[in-house]
Amino acid sequence: MKDLLWLIPALPLASATLLILGGRLMSPRIVAALGVGSVGAAAICVLLTVLQWQGAPLESQLWTWMQVGELSAGVSFYVDGLTLVMLSVITGVGFLIHLYSAEFMAGDESYARYFAYLNLFVTAMLTLVMADNLLLLFFGWEGVGACSYLLIGFWHFDAANGAAARKAFIVTRAGDAAMALGLFLLFAEFGTLDIQAMSAAAGERWEVGNPTAVLATALLLGGAVGKSAQLPLHTWLPDAMAGPTPVSALIHAATMVTAGVYLVARTHELFLLAPPTLLAVAIIGLLTLLLAAFAALCQHDIKRILAWSTISQIGYMFLGLGVGAWGASVFHLMTHAFFKALLFLAAGAIIHCLHHEHDIRNMGGLRTRLPLVFISFLIGAAALSALPLTSGFYSKDLIVLAAFEAPVAGPWLWAGAVLGAFLTALYSFRLVFVVFFGRTNTLPDRQPGPGMATPLAVLCAFALVGGWLGVPVSNVFPEAETGHAALWVEVISIGVPLLGLGLAWLLFLGRGLDAGDLVASPPGQALYGFWHAGWRVDGLYDWLWVKPYMGLAALLRSEPVDRLYGAVVGLCRLLHRALSNSQTGRLRQYGTVMVVGVIVLLNIVWRAAG
Amino acid sequence: MSGVNWWAIAPLLVLSGGAVLLMLLVAARRDTPLSWITTALILAAAALSCLPAREAIPQAVTPLLMADSYALFFTALFAICGLVTVIVSHEYLGERHGENEEFFLLVLLSTLGAVTLAYANHFVALLLGMELMGVSLYALIGYPDKLELPLEAAIKYLVLSAAASITFVFGFALLYAAVGVLDYPGIGAALASADNPVLLASAAMIVAGLGYKLSVVPFHMWTPDVYEGAPAPITGFLAAVSKGAIFAALLRWWMASGLYELPGLLTLVALVAGASMLVGNLLALLQDNIKRVLAYSSIAHMGYLLIVLVACGLVADPHLAKEAAAYYLVAYSLTSLAAFTLLGLLSRASGSKELASLDDLTGLFWRQPGLSLLFTVALLSLAGIPLTAGFVGKFYLFSAGVAGSLWGLLALLVIGSAIGLYYYLRMVYRMTLAGDAQPAAVERPGWPARLTCYGLVLAMLYLGIVPGPLMEILRTIL
Repeated sequence: MKDLLWLIPALPLASATLLILGGRLMSPRIVAALGVGSVGAAAICVLLTVLQWQGAPLESQLWTWMQVGELSAGVSFYVDGLTLVMLSVITGVGFLIHLYSAEFMAGDESYARYFAYLNLFVTAMLTLVMADNLLLLFFGWEGVGACSYLLIGFWHFDAANGAAARKAFIVTRAGDAAMALGLFLLFAEFGTLDIQAMSAAAGERWEVGNPTAVLATALLLGGAVGKSAQLPLHTWLPDAMAGPTPVSALIHAATMVTAGVYLVARTHELFLLAPPTLLAVAIIGLLTLLLAAFAALCQHDIKRILAWSTISQIGYMFLGLGVGAWGASVFHLMTHAFFKALLFLAAGAIIHCLHHEHDIRNMGGLRTRLPLVFISFLIGAAALSALPLTSGFYSKDLIVLAAFEAPVAGPWLWAGAVLGAFLTALYSFRLVFVVFFGRTNTLPDRQPGPGMATPLAVLCAFALVGGWLGVPVSNVFPEAETGHAALWVEVISIGVPLLGLGLAWLLFLGRGLDAGDLVASPPGQALYGFWHAGWRVDGLYDWLWVKPYMGLAALLRSEPVDRLYGAVVGLCRLLHRALSNSQTGRLRQYGTVMVVGVIVLLNIVWRAAG
Repeated sequence: MSGVNWWAIAPLLVLSGGAVLLMLLVAARRDTPLSWITTALILAAAALSCLPAREAIPQAVTPLLMADSYALFFTALFAICGLVTVIVSHEYLGERHGENEEFFLLVLLSTLGAVTLAYANHFVALLLGMELMGVSLYALIGYPDKLELPLEAAIKYLVLSAAASITFVFGFALLYAAVGVLDYPGIGAALASADNPVLLASAAMIVAGLGYKLSVVPFHMWTPDVYEGAPAPITGFLAAVSKGAIFAALLRWWMASGLYELPGLLTLVALVAGASMLVGNLLALLQDNIKRVLAYSSIAHMGYLLIVLVACGLVADPHLAKEAAAYYLVAYSLTSLAAFTLLGLLSRASGSKELASLDDLTGLFWRQPGLSLLFTVALLSLAGIPLTAGFVGKFYLFSAGVAGSLWGLLALLVIGSAIGLYYYLRMVYRMTLAGDAQPAAVERPGWPARLTCYGLVLAMLYLGIVPGPLMEILRTIL
């Protein structure tokens, strides 16, 4: 199987190439078969690899891309437990989403373009997680960024979508620049970008807390923060919902946005040598999960709620990474991929059946009208809220408990995580109650077909029982010290989501409290507006970065520096005119110039001779 | 004259014998194609005779001539340039003038003068070669005698050349008065003892006389008028052979006599070089007449070349400077020859009159793609764009300048090249513009001329891409 590893990214790449070159000539049926089939075939390859896997990392060297001085950049893969988890998620969930897309996007005039981009994305994402060196990883990293840009702006005839795509690209670019600097620094330190070799060398060269290690990991963290939409670079993700909903499910929930988590997990041996960075990871995660949860509470666009929820859940993963619960984070990454993809696909089904309606205030009572979607959503929301026995419960519980045992500020981190869990349940079930209960505002005009129903059903199963799968990463990460938290800690951790569910029931099903009254009160209004706008970070950045930049651009538009060169040009013209006037064409004047010239020359030599 | 190996001056013998033969041939039978082919054969034979001549060098043939590899190298170059001129002239003249036998005879004599200059090791030989070359050129410039412009150009060249020759000969007289000898090594030997202003004055006047032929500032005034008036192939000959030969002679005198050790002369040449680069390029900047642009640019090119004379005096080993000069001369000769030849062919192919103004170039790419492309390569080589001979030549000059730490002159070289780029590219740009659709009756030039052009352009590209072999040759012979 090791020799066939290259097939995994090659299959979607081949399909993408075919679709780009000949997609216009193919019928939609062939396009779908190619686009969905290639990812399905890749998924089968991954499945075979998993089944035959012995527990040791697989390495496969394809070819050397370039060799310059010390730098040897190879296209070679390294597949261990962590990679296998990522591969399974990318190809498995990816396949389901491709299948769903075939029906969801039916009739779109750029059907082939859509699948070409989506396949290309899968290729890049697979390259990212399989790369054995940071350069190839960065190649995949930029590839997914480019595909994300293309897919957010997929419906580019609406200028707002283009703006959203640009925003996503530019904001993540800020992180990528930091990451590139980090790569340069690491290369300067170790002379290699091979991850395993570098990790081994770092352990020997750096003591814990080495300043270079802190700087290098902080720069890598910059890239991770940008890609995974964490504070302070999280602002692009809510806007990225402009893309088609399956894209949001695949790229902006299940896979690409977790690349930051993967990067930190992959280079965890470097991060272990830099406790300050690790603490920063935990704090960023905690702040993000809380801020995003509040923001999610105050949205009405169903996709934006889910987007903020994604930011918040990745915050949990970062928190887990920061407190050293590597395995738990990767586990949560996997379960999150199941239930968030499920939620997005269910939301997509609602939007699809409700004439592209996004606003939850115009929905309601869909419980009976779209029963399958209701069940899917219910399971998804339960897993998201980490209600006991769902997949999200197992993974989130591990993170929350690990936070309590963190060496620095453990109880505080735990309290924040618990508050986040409460808020998560609250906004999740707000969504369920508002959309599926109460008065029916809009009637669906169709039901999801089998192409959309099948992925929903499969994902329902995974969202429910995915928690029993576990992740085979014990060889990858250092053994976590498993202490047993006090009983009250466990009880609170488990019980809080139920409290959130209860409060949502009171507020949004009109049982005793009315959410409308709360929002109508003056402080409620202010807070609601503030959180709705995502803590007004966009406005802040607009004022801080965009406006000064545009001002500078406007200033430079008249090209003040060019004036200087304009003066040079003017001088040349002037001299040209002056000299041209000497060319009269009159022989007598030419002769005079010669005579004067000889006299001048004689003067020069005599003067020089003294 | 016993003990002389006549092979050493075989090219000179071939050329002078050939001139007599051609004259007799013309007397016997007036037949333009026949004399054309004969001239071409004589020039080819002269170039080829350099090969056996290599066996007989180095050798002083009388005190006047020095047969060495330097002389043979430039002899071959000038003979080839003359050959190219002859081949394309036939095409250019066409039926315009009926019988043109004397034209070829004049080219042959002029080339003989140039070759004499390459051999000259004595001021008498220098004067002889210069006048032989110059007198033939007066007639060649004014050859289309029914037109006003060539005649005017010929008269101007004649009168001013006479003035320059007088200055030059006056310089001899002073030199002779100062040191009592006229052969280069003798001058060099006398130089150490003769520290007087007369010597300096004589050198300055000789430089002035030669500077006129090279058209460097302040003796450049004639250049645009003569370039414009002369037939295009002759302008090319003037640029490539006449200037090349004068420079070769000047360089030999400069090196053999050790003149570069006189600081006063170095200052003088440096000033002349700087002024030429600047003035030539500035004059060309907005000029609308193509031949005048090329004339002004030649002033600048000669300025670039003079850098090596200065560099000779400031480096420990003047060989690099000498190589640079030789390489640049080869590149410049081929390039300017190609440029003027193509201009001539393009004029002819465009049917009407001489291509004169920049406007005539508009849209040429779409009417004459092949020739325009070659012309573009020639212009790029003149501008010194990489992958052309012009670039390598300029690079060579630059490294010679760096070796001599001539920062001021190098700065001027850079500024001049930057200005130059503008007017060369302006011509290329004009050619690519969409012209008014007038597919005039296009006349294809004959195969000898076309083949010659392709050969020149290929040589330019070859020297630009693979400069190594020629550099190696120059390193061994200089």
